[in-house]
Amino acid sequence: MSMFAELPWIWLGVAAYAAATLLAVFGAARGQRRERTVAALLLVGVTLFAVAIGVRWERVGHGPFISMFEILASNLFSLGLVFGVAYWRLPVVRPSAVVVLPVLLLLGAWIVAVKPVDSFLPPSFETPVLWFHLVLGKLFLGTCLVGVGVGGVILLRRTRCAAWFAGMPDDGTLDMLAWRVMLVSLIFESLMLVAGAVWAQDAWGRYWAWDPLETWAFMTWLTLAFSMHARIGYRIPPWGGALMIWLVFVLAFLTFLGVPFLSAAPHKGVV
Amino acid sequence: MRKLASTRLTLLGMALFGAAVLLTYRDQEASPWWMAVPLALLAANLFAAVATDPRINRRGGLLVFHLALLALILLAGVGRLTHFSGRVEITEGSLFQPVGVETLRKGAWHPDRFDQVKFAQGPFTVQYQPGLKRAHTRSQVFILDGAGGQTPMVVGDQMALVLAGYRFYTTSNKGFAPLLTWMPDAGVPVSGAIHMPSYPFLEWNQFTDWATPDGEKVQLHLDVERPSDNEAAWTLDPKNIPATLVVKSAGGNAVLHPGETVRLAHGVLRFDELRGWMGYQIFFDPTLPWLFWIALVGVAGLAHHAWRKFARERG
Repeated sequence: MSMFAELPWIWLGVAAYAAATLLAVFGAARGQRRERTVAALLLVGVTLFAVAIGVRWERVGHGPFISMFEILASNLFSLGLVFGVAYWRLPVVRPSAVVVLPVLLLLGAWIVAVKPVDSFLPPSFETPVLWFHLVLGKLFLGTCLVGVGVGGVILLRRTRCAAWFAGMPDDGTLDMLAWRVMLVSLIFESLMLVAGAVWAQDAWGRYWAWDPLETWAFMTWLTLAFSMHARIGYRIPPWGGALMIWLVFVLAFLTFLGVPFLSAAPHKGVV
Repeated sequence: MRKLASTRLTLLGMALFGAAVLLTYRDQEASPWWMAVPLALLAANLFAAVATDPRINRRGGLLVFHLALLALILLAGVGRLTHFSGRVEITEGSLFQPVGVETLRKGAWHPDRFDQVKFAQGPFTVQYQPGLKRAHTRSQVFILDGAGGQTPMVVGDQMALVLAGYRFYTTSNKGFAPLLTWMPDAGVPVSGAIHMPSYPFLEWNQFTDWATPDGEKVQLHLDVERPSDNEAAWTLDPKNIPATLVVKSAGGNAVLHPGETVRLAHGVLRFDELRGWMGYQIFFDPTLPWLFWIALVGVAGLAHHAWRKFARERG
């Protein structure tokens, strides 16, 4: 077994996502909806990332919780899985693959550039609560990505790509759908914060300390809650709502994939 | 009341609260009022909205969610007023002494119950993985019932010692405590432990200044023998680690192994044995279980609201 046995699986997974992205984008541009093939490639990609995570888990002895490589791999798996489920169960969101898959491909390009060095699992991560926290976080970001996809369609309709989405419901209906998804996202994020607080209390002796991750996770929650109230308080057009969804996603994305690696101590006492 | 319940006021409160969060993030010592004022505004707005807005109070799930938010704000306030955070260092083989507690933060309504906290520190071990990465901490404590009985317990990592509402967490701050006996030329011998600097964080600085009960100043240096290769895994076990104590006095340096003595100006100093001291972080907040359950009930309310909403649309 090579030193980084998980790498070939990662590359194959990225290739599957790249093929799905190209097929979705060029298919939409040509007016051909190759939904079954896109779904199949997405499923293959998710499976390959699951295998990659499993192989690495076996090699380093712990799950994908610590390093940038591990976080990227787990997000490539979970985001692909959540969008895949939405793609399967909600046919109306399928054309949004044009928006969502490039985001996944971006993560794919990122992970290829990251060295999969071994990581150390601190004792504070050895708790079942961590699983609740992480799974809820993945569900939050995944559902948020589905909302981003629908919101992205609303925004793309204001460009030369409008014809790609001619078969989709009107903006008002998409706006409503996107915010339904964001409501589900809010539920998962709220539960993620609760589970995170329980974990922090056990691991570091305080449930909340406004450390970088806690602060930005809460700011994401607050921005989402703010956006929902803004929609109620003001007549915000669908494109405005779509921008707010993108803002929430960008904040969440930076919180998940930026803060832990930019801050010397994302969670105080973690080391 | 309706003006107070306005959604626009909610937005203002959220914006102010967001700004206060960022301010506190940048400056952890910022006045708590920066947080308290927007939260009070949001609480008043929330109360008014729950009381008057049919979009909330006629939707069961949404009502539960907003009431839970209101309760969480109030509980967070009560928690701040009653909480305690501090730290203490306890020598292996000695009792917890409230006088040794260093207070970091304490709410105005904190009920001081340290007199009910009775436990003794036993031995502890800390595992290190290659690269000097701290792994598992196992700290033996003995909970005393006050009637001569004791219950052993191992704390560390995720496991806190909870007594009288205080939660004691092991920390990375721990070290060696040489047990010394001072035998003066005239008078009775006295024994006590000296806490050396945190180990291995301050491994390079295992020095401390000390004065005998007669006032003679000496410097103590603990020379610990542990694997020099940081790439090897090892276990910090203060009681079973070879070490010598170097006593530097006006009369010169003396290297002592456990049980050995050195003659000083007004008596004899004996290095009895090497023990460890464990640093604990102390946390007290009686609102913790309430915060947890109310948060869960609130999210359940939101989930119920979403479920009803989607079911209605499907129907």
